[in-house]
Amino acid sequence: MLSRLLSFRQEARRRHLLRHAPAGPLKEYLSVPLIDPKTDIHSVSLISLDFETSGLNSSEDQIVSVGYVTLEDGEIMLSTAQHRLVKIDQALSEQSVVIHRITDDLSAAGEPLEKVVGELLVSLAGKVMLAHNATIETTFLKQACLKLYGESVDFPVIDTMKIARQWFERRNKEIVQGDLRLFNLRKRYGLPMYQAHNALSDAVATAELLQAQIEHMDSSKCLPLKKFLS
Amino acid sequence: MGGGIVEIELQEIRQFISVVPPFDLLSESELKQIVQRLGIRYLRRGKFLPPDSKSPPSLYFIRQGTVSLYSTDNELIGMLAEGELCTAFCDTDVDAMIHATATEDTLVYGIPCVELFDIISSKPLVKEFLLHEPTRRLKQASTDTKKKLAQNATLMNTPLSALVTGKVVDIDLDSSIQDASVRMTESGVSSLLITEVGKLTGIITDRDIRSRCLAKGLSPATPVKQIMTRDPLKMSSDAMAFDALMMMTKKNIHHLPVIDGQQVRGIITATDLIRQEGKNAVYLTRSIHRAESVDALVEISRMIPDLQWQLFISGGSAEHVGRAITAVSSALTRRLIEMAEKKFGPPPVPFAWVAAGSQARREQSSHSDQDNGLIISDRMRPDDEEWFRLLAEFVCDGLNACGFVYCPGDAMAKNPQWRQTENVWTSYFINWITTPEPMALMLSSIFFDIRVIYGDKSLLQNIQQKIVGITKNNQLFLAHMTSNALQHRTPLGFFRDFVLVDEGEHKDTLDLKHKGIVPIIDLARIYALAEGIDKVNTVERLKAAAGSPSLSHDGADNLLDAYEFINRLRMEHQVEQIRNGENADNYLSPKQLSRLERSHLKDVFKVVQTMQESLAQRYHTGL
Repeated sequence: MLSRLLSFRQEARRRHLLRHAPAGPLKEYLSVPLIDPKTDIHSVSLISLDFETSGLNSSEDQIVSVGYVTLEDGEIMLSTAQHRLVKIDQALSEQSVVIHRITDDLSAAGEPLEKVVGELLVSLAGKVMLAHNATIETTFLKQACLKLYGESVDFPVIDTMKIARQWFERRNKEIVQGDLRLFNLRKRYGLPMYQAHNALSDAVATAELLQAQIEHMDSSKCLPLKKFLS
Repeated sequence: MGGGIVEIELQEIRQFISVVPPFDLLSESELKQIVQRLGIRYLRRGKFLPPDSKSPPSLYFIRQGTVSLYSTDNELIGMLAEGELCTAFCDTDVDAMIHATATEDTLVYGIPCVELFDIISSKPLVKEFLLHEPTRRLKQASTDTKKKLAQNATLMNTPLSALVTGKVVDIDLDSSIQDASVRMTESGVSSLLITEVGKLTGIITDRDIRSRCLAKGLSPATPVKQIMTRDPLKMSSDAMAFDALMMMTKKNIHHLPVIDGQQVRGIITATDLIRQEGKNAVYLTRSIHRAESVDALVEISRMIPDLQWQLFISGGSAEHVGRAITAVSSALTRRLIEMAEKKFGPPPVPFAWVAAGSQARREQSSHSDQDNGLIISDRMRPDDEEWFRLLAEFVCDGLNACGFVYCPGDAMAKNPQWRQTENVWTSYFINWITTPEPMALMLSSIFFDIRVIYGDKSLLQNIQQKIVGITKNNQLFLAHMTSNALQHRTPLGFFRDFVLVDEGEHKDTLDLKHKGIVPIIDLARIYALAEGIDKVNTVERLKAAAGSPSLSHDGADNLLDAYEFINRLRMEHQVEQIRNGENADNYLSPKQLSRLERSHLKDVFKVVQTMQESLAQRYHTGL
């Protein structure tokens, strides 16, 4: 009941924002209705998304690279895979370069944030965002929208980390440090090792993890999108 | 921009597919294009592949997990593991007949075949490979290996100029046949070149004189030009000996003039070429018959590994090499028995010296051990036993000295258990069949492959007549033979990869004999027993059983290909060892194999595994 109300409110908010949004990618994103939360998860189109950032604070730090790929009818379509470097206006800390291996020189060859985020928003229209530990992606994306369009939006999002946490909690299993990391969760499902901290690799890895999580759920029951939304 | 970076960033996936044959033959850019067209799916155990009926015909890479392939009647026809390809849905003919299920939780990368074939359009061989099911691929593999080996053969590298020796013997075309014969006799040649003003115009051979002159009643005064072969086929002296041999075989000629421009250099004969190939089996067998002492036989036997090597590099099939080596070992056995009879006097009663195991099947190699026995007439008196003991020890010791070492299981005539009368042997066989305990089954697998090498063949025939009725369609016995045979499993650990010997001297190797060859020999024996086929050779058994209730034609073809492939691989390995001065063995390191060979070898093992499984089902022995 509550969730229906929530989704109703989200949809109302979308229409409201649409009326006021400036022409451009944000308006394009808003012009497509949100997916009905009752839709079966298998037929929901998802965009698995990962950001590498210069730090964890969305008001100070910036998006360094963006990787995403579409999941349609249960299939990860590599033909849709995107990996984009963003040209940023601050020096990258050594700490962050060690993690994502994108140097200042590489970043200087990147594209403007407006172009990268704009195209991402167009791709997201009518789809649901998917990320592992989605807080980073949602807060940085909202922040970018505010900066670029003076307006922010709530994105419906599925978080594989949250699904995993629920799994542990429902079984009363203690969560030990590291248990919820993408790498360790993938290991549980026997998924192969991919290079971590590369935005596209992580996006593909997250999409595979979700596929495994869905496939391991009780398939006799209906699995509506709302069960997965954060 | 995005696309450019994607290629670099999905390197794990690209690396993964780049080592899956035949994708290892593709260029970086082709691989990148493939990666960009992939779809990834996770299949829970029990789910079907393709995951939904809407999927276009696709090729699937098994990234993780296992997938089983079934025929329409739900028969398991194969399993695919990590790093393998599911090509079943690319071939529209096969498409409808196969379905696939994830046997474990499985991650697959799929690509629509149309798009794939578009990307690899400049690599028809890769497409060819993909469209061939494992069993069909095998056939290709065994001919490719043969070609490769034929190219390494010495005849391939030897120009005719190196083989043509001596003077050119010729005669003018107006000379009489009489004169030609005299010239040939004087020069000790079997053919003569006919020239006209020094220019080659024809050739005559011994055979021409016989068949075209003497047999026709032609006068010896007739000019040679009347019986000569005009404008004979000739070859340039820089042509390779191998090509000459091919041409002579094709045209069925035995003499070939060799020329340098217009100048005749000489004649090459088929015999010259074969001699170049070295010690052939016929030559060895002849020397064995003439040998007067065991020492002489030991000396001759030193050439057996060379013989195997020569036969192998000249492109002989495993079947052919096995027969040649067995011909030599059988000649040795016979000669040793003759020597024993000379030494110990004539046999007191009739007997048959029988070979068992690989010698009986005509499948020996230069380092096979000996399995044999003596069937003695029931008329034997206790006093006669000593003569047979002496015979058995003389022959077994002799074979051992010649390199056919003692049987580790003591299945030899030297052992009194295997030196018995016809009656005792008959009771042995009946016991093995009616009380199939482990020991009996082990012995059955040796002595159901049996052949008389020397002596009275009827002794064995009598026994066989008595037992054939009780083995054919004897479900209990066949079931036990089957479960015994299934102890030799092909070395695919849950179909993932090769299971290697895990300790000792042969650590991390594949035992080709026990894991590859023996299982096929065992299968063939069971088909033969079940169908009452009296053949002993594995290839003959498989051919004879093809189309019977025990074995389909396809199954037989697949096993024959598999058998040839694995035998060749073993010989190739042994030849390499012999060449390096090592002792030949059956232990192959998978590292010695190319990826393609590894892939073919896995196909072979899959074929064998499938046949073992269907046999297990037939006799309900379970795996």
